[in-house]
Amino acid sequence: MSRSILCQAALAVVAFLLPASASAHCFVGARFLPATLNVDDPCVADELSLPTVSRFKNGDDPSARQTDISAEFSKRITDTFGVSVGTTWTHLRPPGAPGVSGFQNVETSFKWQALTVPQHEFVMSVALNVEWGGTGAQSIGAERFNTYTPTLFFGKGFGDLPQGAGWLRAFAVTGQVGYAIPGRRSTLNSIDIDPDTGAITADIEYHPRVLVWGGSLQYSMPYLKSNIVDLGLPDFFNRLMPIVEVALQTPVANTITSGTVTTGTINPGVIWTGNYFQVAAEAIIPVNRASGTGVGGMVQLHFYLDDIFPKSIGRPIFASSPLPGSFGR
Amino acid sequence: MTIRILASVLALTALSGAAQAHAALDRANPLVGSTVASAPRTVSLTFTERLEPAFSTVRVENASGARVDQGKAQVDSGSRNVLRVGLKPLPPGSYKVFWKVLSVDTHTTEGSFSFTVGR
Repeated sequence: MSRSILCQAALAVVAFLLPASASAHCFVGARFLPATLNVDDPCVADELSLPTVSRFKNGDDPSARQTDISAEFSKRITDTFGVSVGTTWTHLRPPGAPGVSGFQNVETSFKWQALTVPQHEFVMSVALNVEWGGTGAQSIGAERFNTYTPTLFFGKGFGDLPQGAGWLRAFAVTGQVGYAIPGRRSTLNSIDIDPDTGAITADIEYHPRVLVWGGSLQYSMPYLKSNIVDLGLPDFFNRLMPIVEVALQTPVANTITSGTVTTGTINPGVIWTGNYFQVAAEAIIPVNRASGTGVGGMVQLHFYLDDIFPKSIGRPIFASSPLPGSFGR
Repeated sequence: MTIRILASVLALTALSGAAQAHAALDRANPLVGSTVASAPRTVSLTFTERLEPAFSTVRVENASGARVDQGKAQVDSGSRNVLRVGLKPLPPGSYKVFWKVLSVDTHTTEGSFSFTVGR
């Protein structure tokens, strides 16, 4: 048997072993779902968001100007299981008062990409997000207790619509539904004794269980160019993905002090996807007064570590197949 | 601190000779979604990255799903990001191109598109 035949046979074995998810960051069949800013994308990946910067007027009364600078690192442990860790530095400037700064609690996410259907551009993941209480600064509102949020994610591209759907096939949606469970039901903030009546009053804050839900509607110019029609546009435009994200929270249990008003934001914007990184800019539009005032904005620089470092930190720690020596030559 | 980390990542990105992105379809001949006056003799796909020839395939079908390509696709020996497949004589009609490629860093990508041969 010649050396070339042996080589071909070895490559065939490797190809057989290569998992469907070897395409790493969120490719599902012909569809690429970019990393989104306000809701997480439905895949596991080796990625680094650094930084994400947002500025807006929050839902406090009176509204404080809030600036967040955050970073998140995501790492695949296996081809379908990944961990991410992130933190946010926050600066709050209430009107007429000195500003305060500090870190929010550290957050980690353990995600399993449970279902991938390439021909229908469909992907679904389940995750447990943990906010680690006490790791952030109380001065900017970081809680002292953990919060656990089991979450379901999905993504669906519409490339499998009939050919007659034309340009509509470049649309995709992603979504998430989570249930945030605080590790503590309530916090006793203070106890006072009324000097006149002698009655004891307690200020107790109840920590609600919250439905965390939202998603994105996105239009992929790269998909349009590669799979539907090449309009001959400049490369810059062929890499754009206009997007609208919606991120909402609804308290649903233990709502004695929180109320049940849904808060959140709508984020229209655009993502530019390069070969090794993407850049995104979105507006922050609060859905009601309890969510904030005015229109804010956020920007993000996001690196595809699997493309930048395909042979080292861009690979799963326990990949289902070894990296063959013939690749990357 | 953040700026230092960012600068380090950018520098590593710029310097990393091993960096290989996913192979995206850069351009096709016939053009994606186009109508051509005369039947093409080959389909040529140019990707953004170099390809592994053994695992990069193209299939062309007519409107009834029958294959109209001439079999094994070839990666250009000179330009390893170009994949070609010969075609049988094509009567007027709609055709669909299915491709799946493995870039040299083992990332798999795939896609499909249509073109029409006019009367």
